[in-house]
Amino acid sequence: MSGERTQSALLGALGVALMLGAWEVIGQNRLVGMTWPPFSSVMAFLFDPSRQALFSRALTATLGSAGLGYLIGGLAGLAFAMLGQILPVLRPGTDRATAVIHAIPSIALAPIFIVLLSREAAPTALAALNAFFVFYVAGASGFASSSQTQRDLMAALGASGTKRFFHVDLPAAFPGIVSGMKLAVPAALIGAIIGEWFGAPRGLGILIVNAMQNFQIPLLWSVVVLAATTSLVLFSAMTLLERIVHERYR
Amino acid sequence: MTDRTAAPAIDFRGVTKSFRLPDGKTLTALTDTSLSVGKGEFVALLGPSGCGKSTLLRLVAGLEAPSSGAVAVEGRAPEELVKAHRLGIAFQEHALLPWLTVRQNIELPFRIAGRPVMRERVQGLINLVGLAGFEAARPKQLSGGMRQRVAIARSLVLEPEILLLDEPFGALDAVTRRQMNVELQRIWSESRISTLLVTHAVEEALFLADRVIVLSGRPGKVVRTLEVPFARPRHPDVMRTAQFHQLVDELTETLHPTDGAGH
Repeated sequence: MSGERTQSALLGALGVALMLGAWEVIGQNRLVGMTWPPFSSVMAFLFDPSRQALFSRALTATLGSAGLGYLIGGLAGLAFAMLGQILPVLRPGTDRATAVIHAIPSIALAPIFIVLLSREAAPTALAALNAFFVFYVAGASGFASSSQTQRDLMAALGASGTKRFFHVDLPAAFPGIVSGMKLAVPAALIGAIIGEWFGAPRGLGILIVNAMQNFQIPLLWSVVVLAATTSLVLFSAMTLLERIVHERYR
Repeated sequence: MTDRTAAPAIDFRGVTKSFRLPDGKTLTALTDTSLSVGKGEFVALLGPSGCGKSTLLRLVAGLEAPSSGAVAVEGRAPEELVKAHRLGIAFQEHALLPWLTVRQNIELPFRIAGRPVMRERVQGLINLVGLAGFEAARPKQLSGGMRQRVAIARSLVLEPEILLLDEPFGALDAVTRRQMNVELQRIWSESRISTLLVTHAVEEALFLADRVIVLSGRPGKVVRTLEVPFARPRHPDVMRTAQFHQLVDELTETLHPTDGAGH
């Protein structure tokens, strides 16, 4: 088991090294033109002390709106899923409403949010919307994941609806909800960054748009690397949490 | 102990149960079935798979309602007994909650009933089913036999008036099953709760029950009732006697007639 894990970690590291090596070679030799800088120059740009303030301000802003959106969307998604569980009549309705909301591309909704709320609130709103969907799906399928025998047992023990929910349905849903918590991290980050494209005062999304429009290629790549790394780090941390919960609740 | 003159613990009067299948057809699981379980009596329901014996047990637990006829438990509707948390039940799938320890699983009925947990009662049952030392283990760390012991302890923890056992050892290997039968006999002898056991194992039914009721294949109905002649407490050696073997043969013949009339 731990041997397998070590092997998979080594293979993963090898894959990343190969990818970064190819990136470097393509960049150094300008194989795909000027817009592909070598990895080393992107790193040099990213860690240049004079730009630390810029990057940390943008990252803080994006993480702030993504985090707040994640929280709002997560709570709303779980509450909506719980509603469908406690009042099964509403379940088809909550399913459909969530699917319809999710079917609309968030990029189309962003202008609406800006008009309805404000430029500052759009990143949070889009992050919340993305997280909402993931949390709803995780919650709704999670609450239904207790076994028929467990539900029969609760009925035969004379459990009330709330007793059953808190003793069986909710704990049985934890593994699914934690998987949702993991998947919602990149979803919320994407929402925040897209929201920022529409003129938020600061954030990674703004840096991306500015860099692109002003042809600041190293800046563009640096911000993308920063966003991707942040997302991967948070995702990995959630994977750890997920493993612990799955071990305990399954 | 067994008193069949008083109101029976479980009483079926002309019960029929049919299910509407998704394709619109109707499946009759039980037809015009009448039977009863006396107070303090251990009755085993024996029948081929799909004969409606589990349906019968689910009717007693209030998990299903009869299509016609009446089911009474302690002279009342099954739902009343369930609401009063006076029913103990164990299923073939142990239905333990994987996130709880052995002790917490056995304590669960107290929490569901909203009663304070009686720690000594729980510990006493843990000892009785031979799981002392495993109180903090989780179900997935236990063997199949140990999980069923937890399920049995959980079914007994509230000192129920009625105990329902739905093939509790059906998923175990033959050796473990025999061992569990011996232990259940010992555990049951200490409480003598009115018990209905559903099984398709003839030896299990004969060794455990005061009375064996044989159901026919679908739709199920009572084809034979046998008073088990062995005195309690029963030593496992009973299973080696000629009389035991002869009764096993008789019941097996009733269950699966060799002239090809059954299946």
